[in-house]
Amino acid sequence: MKHFIWYAAFLALLFTGDRLAGWLLQRETMASQFRYSRLYSGRAGADVLLVGNSRGLTFYAPYIEQSSGQSTCNLSYNGLPMDVANALIQDYLEHYPAPKTLLLDITICDRANNELLAGFAMYAPFSPRLSGLIRDSLPKMWGGNQFSHLTRFNNEIFQRALFHRKKSDKDWLLDRVIPPKLVAEVAQQQYPLEVHPQLVTSLQAAVQAAQAKGVQVQLVISPYFPGFAQNVTNLDALKTAVEQATGLPVHDYRQALGDPGDFGDFMHPNRAGSIHYIDLLRKDGLLP
Amino acid sequence: MIFNSLPFLIFAAVFFLLYFQVRGRERMWLILLSGYFFYGWWDWRFLGLIAFTTVMDFTLGLYIDRSENQKQRRTAVVASIVMNLTFLGFFKYFNFFADSLATLVRSLGMEPSWTTLNIILPVGISFYTFQSLSYTVDVYRRKLPVERDFIKFAAFVSLFPQLMAGPIVRAYDLLPQMSEDKKFEWRRWNSGLGRVLWGFFKKVAIADSLAPFVDQIFTAPETFGSLHLLIGVVFYSFQIYCDFSGYSDIAIGLARMMGFRFPENFRTPYFSRSFSEFWTRWHISLSSWLRDYLYIPLGGNRHGVVKTYRNNMITMLLGGLWHGANWAFVFWGFLHGLYLILQRLVSPIWRSVVRVMRLPKFVDDGVCILAVYTLTLFAWIYFRAGSLGPASFKVANQVIMGILSGEQFSFGAIINKFQVLKGVLLIGILLTVEITNFRWHWNERQLRHPAWRMAAFAALLWLIAFFGTFGSNAFIYFQF
Repeated sequence: MKHFIWYAAFLALLFTGDRLAGWLLQRETMASQFRYSRLYSGRAGADVLLVGNSRGLTFYAPYIEQSSGQSTCNLSYNGLPMDVANALIQDYLEHYPAPKTLLLDITICDRANNELLAGFAMYAPFSPRLSGLIRDSLPKMWGGNQFSHLTRFNNEIFQRALFHRKKSDKDWLLDRVIPPKLVAEVAQQQYPLEVHPQLVTSLQAAVQAAQAKGVQVQLVISPYFPGFAQNVTNLDALKTAVEQATGLPVHDYRQALGDPGDFGDFMHPNRAGSIHYIDLLRKDGLLP
Repeated sequence: MIFNSLPFLIFAAVFFLLYFQVRGRERMWLILLSGYFFYGWWDWRFLGLIAFTTVMDFTLGLYIDRSENQKQRRTAVVASIVMNLTFLGFFKYFNFFADSLATLVRSLGMEPSWTTLNIILPVGISFYTFQSLSYTVDVYRRKLPVERDFIKFAAFVSLFPQLMAGPIVRAYDLLPQMSEDKKFEWRRWNSGLGRVLWGFFKKVAIADSLAPFVDQIFTAPETFGSLHLLIGVVFYSFQIYCDFSGYSDIAIGLARMMGFRFPENFRTPYFSRSFSEFWTRWHISLSSWLRDYLYIPLGGNRHGVVKTYRNNMITMLLGGLWHGANWAFVFWGFLHGLYLILQRLVSPIWRSVVRVMRLPKFVDDGVCILAVYTLTLFAWIYFRAGSLGPASFKVANQVIMGILSGEQFSFGAIINKFQVLKGVLLIGILLTVEITNFRWHWNERQLRHPAWRMAAFAALLWLIAFFGTFGSNAFIYFQF
């Protein structure tokens, strides 16, 4: 009997500790300067909403704010898929006054990413949309998250939130110059971009929700390393699919930067490249 | 079925409920059937192979025992060895040798006309083959009385905790335990459960968390800087350690919960001060198997320096080949054979340096541990690349050249800094527990103090929830 009592006490400790630790981590997370923590704690209101995957980090917020005087909120993240971005954009539109501009890189539609979606579990209590996405796409994980609150913080997004606890994430960017040995291989490199119709539908939903709030939506293809864009398969097919779904033009900057020194790798402009790119966007009237 | 999966948790719950309800022959049947169910969950088609091996070794064991004629005994044991190694050779090495021969023939300007077969490698074949083989050899050597109860023998071969990836428990260790009447004991149960949880932590939280970073560098080593590659290789050394020793911990723990005593398979190998010590601390059940059934029969160290070196090298080369059908695994074995030989040459010189310079013990130990770890790390690069097929040597060399180039040797150049920080944190937890375990003996401590146990078990489960990777990733050693 004594042993059963100990095991019962153990289960009680396990459950209580899990909930207590979950609560503490949630509190720390929501106090963070990280973009999604700000989004779900009412601190992300901005004039310009920026969205993309890792290529969306090219929308370098400090320079946009400095050059235009407009506030920004960048919801981009490495490998962010459009279905998650749609939930984030709609949550933003629901909780904040409409921004003037939504700038969205359409290459965000190139992949579904359930692994990353799992990382948004810690924000699920604040977003029925994210919670629903996780429940539908990752039912086992969703169940696990209900059973143990600690599992919600077992991901890179939590680590980033912790890293940015007291440090702004606005200047997050891949800031390096592409290594010469990689440059030499540009012709051999292929990037098989896939067009996922359901992600294009998500993009369409996000655009329509933004337009319904009077937001000016600008769709773009951000620059690739010179000579690399032609190695990205299906880019034109994606552009056509998005234009047909949204009725909006996609502004194509895939070959807008010609200096190899403007890139961190084949896919991502570095800080210098981002500044040149933003200058182009401003010149073309896509950004204020 | 793999340990880190929901079906296994259900299987284990049902198994243990039944296990302590039955005794004697019923329990043997339960062990046998549960072992076959456990294995058949992966692929039922290979159950026939285990059954055939079991029947043959059981029959040959009886024949060896009955026969007084030394020649007949020898013939029977050779038949057992040939049968076991033929199965192992066919399923594991047929394509490897066919490919290697084809390459050789092509290099001579001819075009071979044969093709390779699409052979599935039965999980765990290297483990249960060696285990079953040890029985006939030990009966032949008269180290073990013959087993006349077929069900008991079949249960010994198919005991599920060690069926897929060891430890390779010898017949003379395990068969006598099969006859014991094991009653439920809380102390044994708690001790086993503690070991199982620690194994899960090592596998699910550490090994599987390090895996993506490691996989990345071995997929495209040319895209990463030297520090990134070096961290990846260090991570791999801990990934494979935690993966395999985690499996062993779970197997040993489950066996303990059932009432069996399995031998230890790992004893903090990265703290070894020599390679001979390393091989008494890494995959102990295999290295001792190779020592007893290969190295010593070859003559061991009894016939002079040259033959000792030869025997070391043969044992390590075959040990490498045991791990997989790829020349990179053989090269890994060659490196370890070379290390053992070099150690015999260098060790006396180093001892003289320590004596002359009066180096304190901690410096002596530190230098030795670092040297052994670094060289082990070097060999692991080839081992990891071994699973990449024909590109293995190219990839391994790219990783080594990338590290030695020193290019982008900065933390800023690392792309996945968060994975690095998480990996370092987890390795830190592992080393802290292992180092303090020398003094504190955590598993013993939890047995004496229920409050400690509660806290330790809960802490492990919290750590698994917080750091674990829940994709039911298979254990690395399943492929061997």
